[in-house]
Parts: sequence; C-alpha cells; structure tokens
Amino acid sequence: MIIGNYRIELEPRLSTPKWLYAAVPALSLLFAFVVGGVFIGLTGHSPIGTLSLLIERGYASTKGITNTLGSATPLICTGLAAAFAFRMNLFNIGEEGQMYLGMIGSAWAGIVLAGHLPGFVAVPMVLLFGALCGALWVLLPAVLRAKLGTSEIVSSLLLNYVALNLVNYFIFGSRGIFRDPTTSFPQGRLIEESARLGSFGTTRTYPTVLIAVALAIGLYWFMKRSNYGYETSVFADSPNTARYAGMSSTKLTLSVLLFSGALAGLAGSMYVVGPAGKVDPGLLQIGLGYAGIVVAALARYNFVAVILTAILFAGLREGGASLQISSNPVPISIAVVLQGSVLLFALGGEVFRRNRLRIRRVQQVSVAS
Amino acid sequence: MKMKHLKGIALAAAAVVGLAACGGSSSSSDTTAAAGGDYSNLKVAVVYIGVPGDAGYTYQHEQGIKELEAELGITVTRLENIPEGAESAATFDQLAAEGYNLIFGTSFGYMDPMLEVSAKYPEVCFEHATGYKTSTNMGTYFGAAEEARYLSGIAAGAASPTGKLGYVAAFPIPEVVRGLNAFTLGARSVNPKATVQVTWTSTWFDPAKEKEAAQALLQAGADVLGMHQDSTATGEAAMEAGAKWVGYNSDTLAGNFPDTWLTAPIWDWGPYYIKAAKSFAAGTCDVSQFYGNMADGTVKLGTFGSSVSAETQALIAEKAAAIIDGTFAPFTGPIKDNTGKEVIAAGVVAPLGDLLGMQYLVEGVIGEIPKS
Repeated sequence: MIIGNYRIELEPRLSTPKWLYAAVPALSLLFAFVVGGVFIGLTGHSPIGTLSLLIERGYASTKGITNTLGSATPLICTGLAAAFAFRMNLFNIGEEGQMYLGMIGSAWAGIVLAGHLPGFVAVPMVLLFGALCGALWVLLPAVLRAKLGTSEIVSSLLLNYVALNLVNYFIFGSRGIFRDPTTSFPQGRLIEESARLGSFGTTRTYPTVLIAVALAIGLYWFMKRSNYGYETSVFADSPNTARYAGMSSTKLTLSVLLFSGALAGLAGSMYVVGPAGKVDPGLLQIGLGYAGIVVAALARYNFVAVILTAILFAGLREGGASLQISSNPVPISIAVVLQGSVLLFALGGEVFRRNRLRIRRVQQVSVAS
Repeated sequence: MKMKHLKGIALAAAAVVGLAACGGSSSSSDTTAAAGGDYSNLKVAVVYIGVPGDAGYTYQHEQGIKELEAELGITVTRLENIPEGAESAATFDQLAAEGYNLIFGTSFGYMDPMLEVSAKYPEVCFEHATGYKTSTNMGTYFGAAEEARYLSGIAAGAASPTGKLGYVAAFPIPEVVRGLNAFTLGARSVNPKATVQVTWTSTWFDPAKEKEAAQALLQAGADVLGMHQDSTATGEAAMEAGAKWVGYNSDTLAGNFPDTWLTAPIWDWGPYYIKAAKSFAAGTCDVSQFYGNMADGTVKLGTFGSSVSAETQALIAEKAAAIIDGTFAPFTGPIKDNTGKEVIAAGVVAPLGDLLGMQYLVEGVIGEIPKS
C-alpha cells in the first residue's frame, strides 16, 4: 500500500521477540475498548463509566466473577475441543452439536443409570457418558476424513443441525425418557439427585470448573511431553514427514477428532451435572460450541491460554448483558459491538505478532524534466 | 429447584394465595408506600427473550410495560435478548442483587431459573409469564388467547373459498395446541368442511424458517394462513402469494399487509403489569396464577382487514360479546379429536385445567402431536 511518499508493507518476522506475546494482546484489548468506546459514546453513554461497569459486573465483583466462572466452565471445554483439533489442522466445527449430544448422553445416564449410586460414582459416570456421546457424534466426520479425505469442516458443521433437531425432538416432539413426565409442558426430566453437583455456596460457579481447568493444564502437559503429542505436532507441520516417519495418519486423525468430540461432549455434561440437571433447550440459544472456536483461536490453540480466553469471553457476555441493569442502560446491541470489537482486534492483532510493519519512504521518480 | 420440593412449594403457594385473597385489600392500607400513589419503593425490571422491535410477542409486552411506566410514573429497566435456560439465572440473580424488587420474566424457559433465584431473595417479587410454577414470592401470568383465536378462526374460515387453511406453529405444546384447536373450531363454525393443515417449525422466532413453512402450506393449496410465532414472516409469505392471513400477538403491522390481513388475537399486558406493581407496592407480591381473558381486557381481537366482510364482522362481534359475558366458550362439547374420538362431551365446557394441559388436535386439524 502506498500513501503519499510512503510505502507501507507487512513482512513476516523471522523470530518473535518475547515481549510481543504480551504486548500484542494488551494493545489489541486497548484498541478494542477505544473502538467500542466510540460506539458507546455515540449512543450517549460515558465510555469510561460503561467500561468500568462492564469490568465490575463481568470480572471485578464477587457476583460478577463467580457468574463468569460458571458460564466459562463449559466454554473452557469447547475451547479445548476446538484447540485440540485445530492444532492438527483438523477443523472440527461441530463442537456445538457434540456438546448437545454430551447433554443428551449425560441426561440419559443420569436418569437411567444413576439411581442408588453414590455421588462419587454417579457424577463421573454421567460426565463420562456425555464425553462418549460427544465423541460418537464426531465419529462419522472423523472416519470420512481419515479414510476418504472428506472435509470435516462441512460434515461436522452439518451434524450440528441434526443435533439441534434431536434436542428439540426429545423435548418438544416426543414423549420419551428425556421429557418431564409430571407435566404436559415440554421440559427435560431431572436426572437423579446423586448425579448432580451443587454450586459453591450461593454462587453460580460449580466444582466442574476445577475439572475443566485441570483438563486444560493436563492436556498442555501431556501434549508437550508425550510421544502422542510429538506425533500430532509433526503431523500438523507436515503430514508427509509424519508418514515417512511411520506415523499412521488414520490413527492420528481419528484419535484427535474423537478426543475433540469428547471434550465438547463434556461441556454438555458439565451443563447437566451443574446448573441445568436435565436436557435443557436453553443450551441451544447460547452457542457455547461456536464460541469455543473463537476462544481457541484467541488462545492461539494453547490449552492453558484457553482458560483465560474462555473467562475473558464469558465475562464480556455476563458483563455485557448486565450493562442493561442501570439507570441509563446500555442497549444489548452496543454490548455485542463491544464484544465483537474485542474479538476482532484480538484476532487481528495476530497479524502484527507474526509480521513486522515496515514504512519506507518511496523515491519519487520525476517524469517532467 | 429439585422436583421433590415442588409439591411443598405448590402447597405453600396455594396457602399464600388463599391468604392474599382473604386479607389483601385490608392489609394494604397500613403497608409502606401505596397510599399517595408513591411508588418510589418500587424498582421494576423486565427480562425479554427477544427485542421490542419484533412487532410481535416482546413488542406487546413492551407496550404493557410502557403503560405501567406512564400509570405509576416509574422507570422500568429492560433486559433484552436474554436466552432461556439455566444460564439465565445469573441475570435474575444480578437484578435481585442490584436491588430490583419486582422482576418480570416473559418467557417459559425462565421458569426454573426464576424459581431458584426467588428462593434466594425472599423479599423480591418475581412474576413469570407462560409458566406454571409458583412460590411464596413468585407468581405467573398468562391468558386465554384461545378466546380471540376462536374469533380469528371465524374470520379465516369465512375468507377461505376452498376451506383449506394452513397454520404455522412453533412447538406442539399445550399453549400452541390450544390456539390451533380454537382457530380450527372458529373456522369450522362458519365453514363446516374447513380443514387446517399444521406445520411445526420448532422455533419461536426464525423469520426465514417460518416463511418457508408458510410457503410450503400455500403450495399445498391453503388459501388462508394462521400462525403461532413471534414474527410476521407468515404474513409476508401470504402477501407474496396473494393469500389471506391471521396474525398473532400484535396488530401494529396490519397496515403493511393491505388486502391480505384479516385480524389477529392480540395481548394487552398493561392492566396486568399495573395491577401486579400496585399490589406489590401495597405490600403483596401477587403469587397467584393470573389467567387473563377477553372479559378483563388482557386478550383482544385486533383490527380487521378490508377483506373481512361486514357480515362476518357482525358475527364475530356477537360471539365476542357472548365470550365476554360468559354465555359462550370456544371449547364447549361435543368436540371430537382428529381421530374421531370424543374429547369433550355434548354440553360440557372444558375446565381451565384441561385447557392448560391440552394434548389432542380437534377434528379438522391435519397434523399430529407427540403421544404420551
């Protein structure tokens, strides 16, 4: 691009200085708040006041941070699911549907199997069933990808709509095991009490948050230290090298996608053992699966960073919605603009981490003599 | 809230309702604020599933909230686009923590979250639209849309030369089934051979999907459409095909559909919101299950389009008067379901409890609902 006498170019960095890893996200956030602030100002609200209210309601108050941690819990799982697959250039877009299947599988186990079991058996079993169902939901795209090379992007995405209709069918379209038998109103049947976890005190944070965080740290460690982690990273960089080294692309593709599906399924399970306690069509309205992809991208597919980006994202949502609770309420659409600009700048900032911005003076060649 | 506690809560709620009914008016005089029309102790919030710009369900609630603000001289805080389900509890919790003491929630899926938060804030009054669970500080509100549905069915039946009607419906739940049945009964009261083909969209608000469903019904030969959705997409499909249609929730966009608009069952929530707020300001959280109707003005029939004949309008006015003075109810036997089985015996008026749990489609409806 040439402006006046200057040529502006991006050139790839050969190595990234350490400080940039911190500076780019920080500057991205700052820019996002400046741009979001302009929109807030245009609607007649104080940008600083609104931002500080957002931070207070989303992160900096006891209620804010505990609400945020509660809604971040399944988001960490879908974020890990996306990060795990995307790292190996396997683009599982089906976290949303896999999460619904996790909810269905967990509810089934919680209704049918959990009776008379003590909590320390019932809860892990219910979580496991959800993970299993999430993995099963990605089995078809995974096999198609591994055996026939069919794009997993399309097949996993399309299955989201199937899963959505499956949840609707179980609650609104049929009178099966998942539906509350005590009323003709359409809603899920509660799972056994023993298969549920209470929240911490009066907060909305559930112990499942500890599992999600432990999973993130465990995955980080495992993928760094294990043979398997090494193989997937070789495969991601160069499938041919991996094959030459005797690694099975079929096995790696299948295992990565299935484990990604299991993580997404676990998000649905955590929703069931925690706040919902049943197949709850409300989950269809909040898009935690799709949000997981954004969370993973923000974290640059780093498992530990997913914890932070999930909390950032959940807080923006919690805080953003509660900006309407004020004597001079900020409309929800402005809160969404703010969220969007944070995500856009955070992703856009990546360009400057990977590339160097060069501005050169252009020598003007004079034609007239 | 866990299921096994519900019976206890229901009993407690029933007791409170009973007490409130006996002592409500006498106790209100000595409580805090009501006397001089001072409502400064009220801090009211409403939680919407959608946005008031939907020209439908949320729009009509917003009109009621505006009436409430004007009547009491207060400002109500609105929360828009709050998804249903367990996560919505955080929103109700935050509202209560910020000092709001009268909180309305307008969507069915807020029921369990509101009930859960209501137990945590016993001093806060929660009012939930379209649900059925109550507590010592949570009531419900809804109304007999089926009365106006029946009347709109008369307009639809009279406007259909072929007698083939279509109906775009959200979910096969009692509320929607009740409206569909009332619509069908109304249509068949003037057009005994009329049939109503129903399509379930599995969504409350998805204009593209609703429009497709409406177009499919029109292609199958329907010449008049009814609908139970939060958007006006059915009307757009009808207008493009030159078919007539009956709206729902609101008639604010009737003028956008010249010639094709018939009428619509509409809601007027203002009187209820005012009643609930005044009751709470006087010290009583209304924890009853309010079920408004045409007689109390909560349910109305919207404006007529130009293609509803004067004769039909007169017939509808006559039926409306009978509904309002209690001499006529849409669900009066004999009524058969669409498999030929008698569901309401001759001369019997179905009690409200049966209507609220309705699980059959009446004769004339082409379609199915899940069997229990």
